[in-house]
Parts: sequence; C-alpha cells; structure tokens
Amino acid sequence: MRPFALVFTVLAACATSAGARPQLDPGAPPAAAVAAAQAENRARAASVGPRLAGEAEQLLRASFDAADGAHRGTLSRDEARGGGFGWITQRFDAIDTQHAGRVSFDDVRRYLQLRDARDASK
Amino acid sequence: MTAPSAAGAPEASIFYVAYTADGAAPGTRPVTFFFNGGPGSATVWLHLGSFAPRRLVTGVPATTQTLPFPYVDNAESLIDTSDLVFVDAVGTGLSEAIAPNTNQTFWGVDADGAVLRDFVTHWLAVSGRTTSPLFLYGESYGTVRVPVLTRLLETAGVRVAGAIELSSVLDYNSNCSINLPQLPTVGCAGALPSYAAAGSWYGLASAATPVLDDYLATVRDYADATYAPDAAAWLADRTLPPAGHLAALEGYTGLPAAVWRGQFDMDYDTFRHNLIANTTLGVYDARVSAPVGSALDADDEPSDTFVAPGFRAGIASVLKDELGFTTPSTYVITSAAIDTWVFAHASRSLPDVIPDLAASISLDPSLKILFLGGQHDLITPFHQTELDLARLPAGSPITTHFHAGGHMTYLDDTARPLMKADLVAFYAAALGDR
Repeated sequence: MRPFALVFTVLAACATSAGARPQLDPGAPPAAAVAAAQAENRARAASVGPRLAGEAEQLLRASFDAADGAHRGTLSRDEARGGGFGWITQRFDAIDTQHAGRVSFDDVRRYLQLRDARDASK
Repeated sequence: MTAPSAAGAPEASIFYVAYTADGAAPGTRPVTFFFNGGPGSATVWLHLGSFAPRRLVTGVPATTQTLPFPYVDNAESLIDTSDLVFVDAVGTGLSEAIAPNTNQTFWGVDADGAVLRDFVTHWLAVSGRTTSPLFLYGESYGTVRVPVLTRLLETAGVRVAGAIELSSVLDYNSNCSINLPQLPTVGCAGALPSYAAAGSWYGLASAATPVLDDYLATVRDYADATYAPDAAAWLADRTLPPAGHLAALEGYTGLPAAVWRGQFDMDYDTFRHNLIANTTLGVYDARVSAPVGSALDADDEPSDTFVAPGFRAGIASVLKDELGFTTPSTYVITSAAIDTWVFAHASRSLPDVIPDLAASISLDPSLKILFLGGQHDLITPFHQTELDLARLPAGSPITTHFHAGGHMTYLDDTARPLMKADLVAFYAAALGDR
C-alpha cells in the first residue's frame, strides 16, 4: 500500500465560517433559490415516466448544444470529442447512418431508441 | 494536480490523497474517487472515517471516546477491492481555482461537476489508469455531485462502472427539512420511518417490534398509505386527520400526539427537540442526544459536536505525521461556499438529479448504482431516497441497503462491516457485467 498526497499550485486559503449551529450537509440553500423552487414545485410535481425521460434527454441535448459552439446543429467526430461529448465520437459510425460525417441530436436519439429496442428484445 | 479544461487551460488545482495497492495490475484494478458534500465540505469525513486503510475510532452512537480519536488500521478497508482517491472540491481542503478563475467560478452544481470531470479524466490519464474500472462515491451533497459527474463523464466517453451514493439528497425539492429553519412546504412522509427508528432506539415507540428492519417496513407502509395523504391535506389547509391517526403516529414514533397536532408535517427540528423533554437529538445521528444546555448541546447538534473536533484535529495530524505532507496553507474543512453556491440545475432552482441518473443509464446501460444510508439519519431520510428512486423506470440498475446508523453510517462499528460487504458485492456485480 502506497499512500501519497499531492498538490501542485496552492494559492491563498479561504476563511471558514462559524455560527451558532454548525453548517450542516446538505445545508439549506440561499433563500432566493428556495423561494424560486417553492414556486416551481407548486406548479409542477417531480417527473416520472415520459416526463422524466424527457428531462434526461434534455440534459444530453444541452451537452450536445454546448459542444456545438458554431450552432450548426450537427457535430463532427472531433467537435464531439473536443466539446465534452466523446460518447458520440466512440460510436460515431453507428450514429451517422447517412455517412454524412456529421451527426445531429436527432441522430443520437434514433441511435438510443434503436439500441433500447434491440436490448428489450434480447 | 491541475484540472485542465478540454482546451488545456488550467482551471483549478485539486488536492487529493490516493491509496494504491502495490503490485496490482493498474490497468484492470478498479479506482474509486470519493467526494464529501456540503457544498463546501472537504472530503475529510470519508477519508478519515470510512474505508481508507486507516480510520479514526469514534465509538458512535456512544459519546465516551475521548480526543484525540485513535487512528487505527481499518479492518473494513476497501483497498482489497479498489484503489482509493479522496478528492477535495474547489475551495475545500487545499483545492483552489487558478486565475483568472476564482473559487466562485466552480461553486455551482454544474460548474463543480465539470471541473471534477476534468480532474478525474486528467488523473486517470497521467496515472496510466484509463482502462481501470471507474467508481465514484459521494456522501450527502456528494450524492448530487456524483450523479452530475457520472453523467458528464459518460457523456465525455469515460465509462463509469459504478456509482455509490451514501446518505442521499437526490432531489432538494422533495427533502421536507432541507430549508430549515423555514418549515416544510412539501410532505415529510419520507422522514417518518427515520423518526420511528429514533423513537424505537429510545424505547418510546409503543408500536415498535423487535426487528428494526421489519418495524421500519411497517412504518414505511403507513407513511405511504396514510401519513402522506394526511400530510398533504394538512399542508393544503391545515386540516388535521382523525385522532386515531395522531395516536398511530405517537405509537410509531413516541412523539406525543400534541406535538403532531401543532406541526403535523413533521420537520426534523420539531421532532428532535420534542421527543424527549429538555433533550436535543442529533440531526446526523438521532441516537446521539444531549441535555439542553449541556456542552454536547452547544451547537444544537450533539452528533456533530461530538464527532467533528476529532476529525478537524485528525486531518491535520494525518496529513503531517502519517502522509508526511506539509504546507504553509490552511486545510479548509468547511468553506462558506454554500452561501453563494449556484444550486440551479437543468430546469430547477434546486437540484433534482434523478434525471442525471436516468441520462447516465441511457448512455451506459451497464452502469450500476448503489444507495447506502443510515436508518437513524434525520437529514437525508432513507425512505425519501426510496421514494425519489421510485421515479426511475422499473428494472433500473439500482441497489439499496440501509443499516442502523447515522448520516456517516460507516462510523457505526456494526454498520461499517455490513457496508463493506455491500460494497464488495456491488463491485463484483458491476465488474461482472462489463
């Protein structure tokens, strides 16, 4: 067993906070975030089923859009890898069924749907 | 170690302590990254208290262990199963942003996940471990951090074999006591079994049965079938249920019906200050209690007041004396990050990471996720975790194990070996399915 500790760049240290009650984990979020969340929660219950699947897909779409800095709506192999979506790069040919050299988010969705249908039939 | 962005610009210097086994084949040996939460907490609790090769002895739920806590060889070390890397988030421990970034740059649900993704990716690359099965272990706010990090790593093409979530807060919008001292605006049914466990511990729950797991299963059913709709009605217009329901709650928890009548949607502060007269119960471990006004009650949180000083002193001596690491900088155990943390995530002002888990499973159907927790933890109640997880589709690759114990469940000498067995079985299943 070989323990080691490393730190390269070290700047100034932060102050610690102190209060009558210790800061708990998970601690209470700032009041503004709490108020906004409570308004949202009155309008919308926690997601399940298709709405949860939609929220999950939205997370992936946001990552796709972030990688698509040029807003072309499609990514090349290298743009996907460089933009934090190497998952696409690793299975690029399977997603790029049109052999266009670029894939859209709809191509990604179709790939996932086909894979899930195939897995379900196993 | 620096965490460089994809473009190669250094973002932050990240402090970690790694334990690696000599002689093991690094390309196939699992590596696990551990993260405490807060946000704003260093990873001292997991590092010094859980599954590293050595650990601090606390003796909880007893409060008789004197300082300094002994630092002993850990019979439940996970080093037999995986290499272990304990990571301090930006602004905690010795981890710091690199200019032009500031710590605040990384003080948010998404920015924190992204910089830790870059750190993990960089660590694996420079350590020659890119083919090692990758595991992530989060505790408390770390159970928000790990699902976000898992999704970002899977998106980047870095496979995560397993994610371990201890004492989970998967949806800040469903944890009824998260906003205390502001009283709950959502139902507390997820917390009722934890109150029952506490009442049972003190011999006050008249309905309690001898086997705790069986008893909590009974209370869980009552919570879902009866208390949840009752609490919803009370939240809507302060309608109280029939007296029989109040009597049932008193029987399950030991908390007098009169207290339920005053605050029917029961937050943990009302519960732990009223279960026993002139006594405060711990938030993290309700089995730890102290007379009001006593030294252990000085912070209104006896379980934290008992445990924290031993860990604060412990990290200083472990870094210097055990690991031989010295620095002129101050190791930050708790930062003020939470005051300015950006909690917004996806379409929510407070994070709900169930969609992150669903997205991660979608990207990698072989991913496995283990949820652990303590039955006497009031701050992240185990049944709330079960309710949150019930949102995932049937057949999702999740496993849950809850043991008698608090928030830092591993501190308990009975729970820690059970958790070790849970972990070993989980690693075997996750590795067998790759």
